[in-house]
Amino acid sequence: MKTQMMKILFGVSLLLLAPSFSLAQKPRLITHWENFTTGNGMPDEKVFCVAVDGNRVWAGTEDGLVLIENGKIQKVYKTEDGLAHRVVMGIAVDKATGDLWIATFGGVSHFSGGHFENFTNLTSGLLNDIVYGIAVDGKYVWAATTAGISRLNTYTGEWTNWSEKNAPLHEPWGYGVAPAGNKVWFAVWGGGLIEYDKSQGYMKAYTDPDEEMELVLFRNQGLIHIIVSNVSYNPDTKMVWASTYFGLSGYDGRNWHNYLTKDSGLASDFINAPKSRRNEVWACTDKGLSYLDYKTGNWVTYRPSKQGGRGEIEITWADMKKTKLETATSLAHNYILNLDFQGEDIWVATAKGLSHGIREPQKETQLYASIRNHRSTREIAQARRQESR
Amino acid sequence: MFTLPLVPALILTFGLCSPRFAAVPANQGIASSEPRYLSPSEVRLSPDGRRLFITCEDSNEVLAVDPRSERVVARVTVGQKPWGMALSPDGKTIYVSNEWSDTVSEIDAASFQVRRTLKVGWGPVGLATDRAGRTLYVANGIGNDVSLVDLRTGQETKRFRTQRYPQQVTLSRDGRRVYVSNVLPRLGPYDQPPESEFLVLDAIRQTVAERITVPGVIELRQIAEAPASLGGYVLVPFMRPKNLGPLIAVAQGWVLTHGMAVIRPVSARPSGKGTSEVSQVLLDDIDYYYAGGYGVAFTPNGRYALISSSEASTLTIIDTAKLARRLRQVPANELPNRLDSARTFVVKRLETGHDPRSIAISPDGRFAYVPNRLDDSVTVVDLARLKVASTIDLGGPKQITRRRRGEQLFFDAKYCFQGQFACATCHPNSHLDGLAWNLETPQLGRDRVANRTLRGIKDTAPYKWNGHNPDLATQCGPRIAKFLFRSEGFNKEELEALITYLSYIPLPPNRHLAPDGQLTDAQERGKQIFYRTHTNDGREIPVQNRCDTCHPADTHYTNKLSTSVKSASKYDTSDYFDTPQLDRVYENAPYLHNGEALTLEEIWTVFNNSDTHGVTSDMSKEQLNDMIEFLKTL
Repeated sequence: MKTQMMKILFGVSLLLLAPSFSLAQKPRLITHWENFTTGNGMPDEKVFCVAVDGNRVWAGTEDGLVLIENGKIQKVYKTEDGLAHRVVMGIAVDKATGDLWIATFGGVSHFSGGHFENFTNLTSGLLNDIVYGIAVDGKYVWAATTAGISRLNTYTGEWTNWSEKNAPLHEPWGYGVAPAGNKVWFAVWGGGLIEYDKSQGYMKAYTDPDEEMELVLFRNQGLIHIIVSNVSYNPDTKMVWASTYFGLSGYDGRNWHNYLTKDSGLASDFINAPKSRRNEVWACTDKGLSYLDYKTGNWVTYRPSKQGGRGEIEITWADMKKTKLETATSLAHNYILNLDFQGEDIWVATAKGLSHGIREPQKETQLYASIRNHRSTREIAQARRQESR
Repeated sequence: MFTLPLVPALILTFGLCSPRFAAVPANQGIASSEPRYLSPSEVRLSPDGRRLFITCEDSNEVLAVDPRSERVVARVTVGQKPWGMALSPDGKTIYVSNEWSDTVSEIDAASFQVRRTLKVGWGPVGLATDRAGRTLYVANGIGNDVSLVDLRTGQETKRFRTQRYPQQVTLSRDGRRVYVSNVLPRLGPYDQPPESEFLVLDAIRQTVAERITVPGVIELRQIAEAPASLGGYVLVPFMRPKNLGPLIAVAQGWVLTHGMAVIRPVSARPSGKGTSEVSQVLLDDIDYYYAGGYGVAFTPNGRYALISSSEASTLTIIDTAKLARRLRQVPANELPNRLDSARTFVVKRLETGHDPRSIAISPDGRFAYVPNRLDDSVTVVDLARLKVASTIDLGGPKQITRRRRGEQLFFDAKYCFQGQFACATCHPNSHLDGLAWNLETPQLGRDRVANRTLRGIKDTAPYKWNGHNPDLATQCGPRIAKFLFRSEGFNKEELEALITYLSYIPLPPNRHLAPDGQLTDAQERGKQIFYRTHTNDGREIPVQNRCDTCHPADTHYTNKLSTSVKSASKYDTSDYFDTPQLDRVYENAPYLHNGEALTLEEIWTVFNNSDTHGVTSDMSKEQLNDMIEFLKTL
């Protein structure tokens, strides 16, 4: 009888504890990495940007544009092939036509059907040839340049430019652009986050409310810092995310959500680019790749382990406890410049190559099973209630 | 009272009324008295072969003709300058592009009523539906793009960029690809041979599949895909100009040749692997040329391919098996320059009317129909006997005015030595070919000049880049005969007729200017810059270096003088060039006398370092952009 009772109790506690093993509450993990470096066909180790288009992955490097398909580098395009400049800083895929618009240090290239058509400061109305960011928004192509923002109307051929002369750009260095429905957002290095309202035709600047370069006095009352390196818009959540050299900012149109390393799982405050989808926001930092699931408040950071060749996963739970896991393979480097999504996988531009991060659910299960001292969300909530009494 | 005998009186009356004596003075405002010709250009047959549909670009109509009775049985008015036509897969709907209205008319084939009008891009020309009849692809000749229209909603959903002046759109036989040809080549260095582009769209994904380079040619016109039994290659007529050599070599032949590109797109292969193949084969004979390759079609059994030569009034019939043999026998790099090809595969050449355009072949393969644009007629060819069976009179005005006659001459290459080219050959669509030519001088590479448009040239004398021709009579008379055609050229009446036509080539609507003429903010700012008298820092700009000094508004933006803007190279004899008019300047690339400036921006960003072509060195990029926006409104 007693044994029977014990069995029943054990079964019930297993049931009670079952949510702790529910993968739905644990962050998804990238468990395997494949890297593309100069050793296996990349023209240069510095990869500045990456864009996924179905089965095709485009990577912009310091020496050309790379096409990867079926797990292999299919083609490298250089200036001899017609690319405007060897340094490729941004790639935008026009999903409607299959064309690419490419931001380079020598102007904008339009790549279509195997042919390059280039736009420079001398041959077109492009404001400046040093182009960092590019985006396609219907019939418009937006370019973030070091002299401001250019927009091409591809139907009429008209170029429109915004600089410090006609826009609230404290500094003119455009670093990133993200279309967002009836708005377009721009990352301006030293100039903050710029919002362009398409229907009204005006630009509005969001800058750091405390105006302090080194301090964060007003935590969630505005953009965390004016040195904004890139911007990403999430149409699912309608949030815009700005990466800065001093933290990560998210804005939902009313409230700001700012993150620093000191009180989050962010790998570093020095962030090169954000990317957001679903409930995730990813931060490409100089010390690894971090992502936040802001529904659960859990962070995950990927970086190469100090043990050569292996990868490190650091989970920062909502209660700030950390869990470290190890994978057999790793990111090419911890200096992360950009990323893009391909289903559950990710492609990551790093300073030493392009990394393909693959999610393997089975492997993920094994990793979580290996965790000791893990607490479920319910346990965390219970612990908090206890602490507050 | 003196009376003439009746018969001589009649003869005298009709003689005076013959075209040679048409009482239409040259260079006068005669538009209102000009009869309304039809000018048929595009023809399609209904799937059952019972109706011929024809677009008439000057009467703004579409005609339905019964091919058996050879009578017009219905007509409908559409937009301005109807140009291209497509039928829905079930044959119940006709789509017609209206080049000057920027619309497509959707016509019910049974009732012959316009059902709705679809808005597309600038200057719609060729068009095609997809296999399901749900999507319409429309090439926009001025906008340099292809509109994709969802026929369920009637709305345009996207555009594909093209090269300059896209022309024809054709759906592949398997419905998986859409082909687009271009009249003008890619913009490129003025001292290099031209390169044209053949665009292939993926009709399933509705994305760009490939852009195939066709080197050394321009004026890719209509498109026909061979049956699968022949390998499914694509035939596209072209013109091959040797514009970098002295044009006076026309007397030796081989300077402008005409043929067809045989294209095998890689995207047509099941594997999709490899590279596209392009062969070029000439249709000319060694001692006579067939200028203005335009329409092309295969007979249903694939035995023959037909090509119309619009400037040679000829329909050429090709044996496709012999063509295939020729392509196998001669290396691809030799073929484009072999003038002995045609005799190996041309079966027949038939005389048509003036300016034969597209070709439609009956479903049973018995007859071919070719509209003669400048005769308002259709040539009917019996394909069993390979001869002209009849000519259908579409009922256009019988009187051939001087202007109309001039247009016929403009499109007729027979005045050139060996029929090598007509005026229209280098001025397709009465415009320009985008090339720089080594005209008149026998010295290779000297005095190269960019081709200029013929639209709106009335009242813009003198002519020629060196400004030496005071009028069109000099330009088109002895100069053409001696330096270009290398023949006797036109007689006096013909020259007068040609000049009349040239004087009335209209400018197309300006797409950059709002219909009410209101300038945008950028255009208004640009206008201020165009007319400015001082630099940004307050220095006065010398009068002779202000934009409106050489480009005054009231004379088509040309002062009609020769000026130096220091654009001459060491290969130019003089540094003084005729100031070009600026009407529709946005359509006239490349720029400067030799076509060195590929875009308007380059005129000043690359070629005006010393402010010799207006003062622009103090301008910001925004100011230059604004000025260019204003120039586009002219």
